[in-house]
Amino acid sequence: MYKSRLSALALTTLAALALGACGSDDSGTTDSGADVVKAGTLTVCSDVPYPPFEDFDTSSDSGFKGFDVDIVDEVADRLDLELSIKDSGFDALQSGQALNAGTCDLAASAMTITDDRKKNLDFTDGYYVSKQSLLVPAGSDIKGIGDLDGVKVGVQQGTTGKTYTEENAKGAKVVTFPSDAEMFQAIKAGQVKALLQDLPVNLDHAKDGKYEVVETFETDENYGFAIKKGNTQLVDDINEALDEMRSDGTYDEIYNKYFEVE
Amino acid sequence: MKRTTRTRLVRYGVNLAIVLVLLALALVADWGVIKQNFWNPLGVALSDGNWGDLITIGALNTIKYTVIAFAGGLVLAVVLALMRMSPIATLRWIATVYVEFFRGLPALVVILFMGFGVPIAFQWSPPGGLVGAGLLALIMVAGAYMAETLRAGIQAVPKGQTEAARSLGMGPMSTMFKVVLPQAFRVVIPPLTNEFVLLIKDTALLSVIGAEFNGRELTNVARDFQSSGPSAGTATSLVQAALLYLVITIPLTQLVAWLERRQRKATR
Repeated sequence: MYKSRLSALALTTLAALALGACGSDDSGTTDSGADVVKAGTLTVCSDVPYPPFEDFDTSSDSGFKGFDVDIVDEVADRLDLELSIKDSGFDALQSGQALNAGTCDLAASAMTITDDRKKNLDFTDGYYVSKQSLLVPAGSDIKGIGDLDGVKVGVQQGTTGKTYTEENAKGAKVVTFPSDAEMFQAIKAGQVKALLQDLPVNLDHAKDGKYEVVETFETDENYGFAIKKGNTQLVDDINEALDEMRSDGTYDEIYNKYFEVE
Repeated sequence: MKRTTRTRLVRYGVNLAIVLVLLALALVADWGVIKQNFWNPLGVALSDGNWGDLITIGALNTIKYTVIAFAGGLVLAVVLALMRMSPIATLRWIATVYVEFFRGLPALVVILFMGFGVPIAFQWSPPGGLVGAGLLALIMVAGAYMAETLRAGIQAVPKGQTEAARSLGMGPMSTMFKVVLPQAFRVVIPPLTNEFVLLIKDTALLSVIGAEFNGRELTNVARDFQSSGPSAGTATSLVQAALLYLVITIPLTQLVAWLERRQRKATR
């Protein structure tokens, strides 16, 4: 029976291909019953680099360093999970697509908790209070957000800084970039005259004295870790770990490492 | 069993297997979730949806940038092709090095160079801000590709054409521009149209160096709609952008096929 063997072979091949396309499933649950995409591991997505929150560091175990990285490292320890960090685009993180696609359990990427984002994501409690800020080249005529009429201002796609600029910088020409790496290049290249984004990142750019932060804006922003909608057990577990870290002093230790005022 | 029967049965078997796999996938797929993510009703709504900005800003800019990059690239390509066939060795070398250099680099790298690298190093930025810089990069890359196409076209024009023109008393320049190039262009129209289609897709790379609201091309507009707007958080705007790209590119690829058919007839 030549034919049936051949078509059976074709069928099994196709079925195997179809199954293979579905991907291997090595997801699991933690002791507390929270879902994770890889058993025994807390898989974290972050848009690196964004110092001082996240940056590359070949000397560390995870290959990354920064405030976010240290916090999630500690959280993973307390949940008895291995930490694995993946670099990914911020837009995919804040829109919820990376989490929905099962790329990672948690987005730790200096992400502000907003109502818009809450539609597509669940957030942990805030772990950092941020401000927005305006960075200009040292000696620039721009002294504040009121001087931005007709000026090209660099912002990052999908960020609260972009929304803030669009709503508050009258007449500014808003130029959107994929990430801070391009924004900083663009102000160096003179393609934009100012950058409006989270304060810590602008402060980092101002370190060498060629750029200065001329104005900061209270936006009542809290950074939170984003989790796939519906994975409430993981949110609870992480909130618990964060609470513990705040009460036993670990949080302050990490905070002072990055943001201590001299 | 006869060999023909056997072939036919195998064919049926394969077709049946494909249908079964497709059916299985269709049953397994969660259509509600897929629709919510790929064709979100709020995003595809005709009013207040994503279409407005996607078409009036995104698609229009994509076409505009493609036309500029193609026109600029073509002018550059003619110069490079002539240089490559020049009797002056230095000109030939310059053109060869240029073509090999820019054909060997990803367009993305050249765009980043023109957008940030060159302005930082030389304190000079290309006219037209970031869009101008990006377009200049695309022109430089497209010019290198099209120069090779043009050279092949020019060399495909029979030598007798040049000899005839010269013996009629035409100078080398007017021979090239009035006799050889017009015939060469007929040969290279299909591959050049192909280059045009490639350029349409390459304009999507411009978003990496940043853009103002009204200067965004199609991919950039779609990406902004992924994070804000009626269908934020879904891939709906990407699906819409993909459809718009196809609306632009498929007629062009069909045009290439038609031109090629016509050319085969004309040269037969």
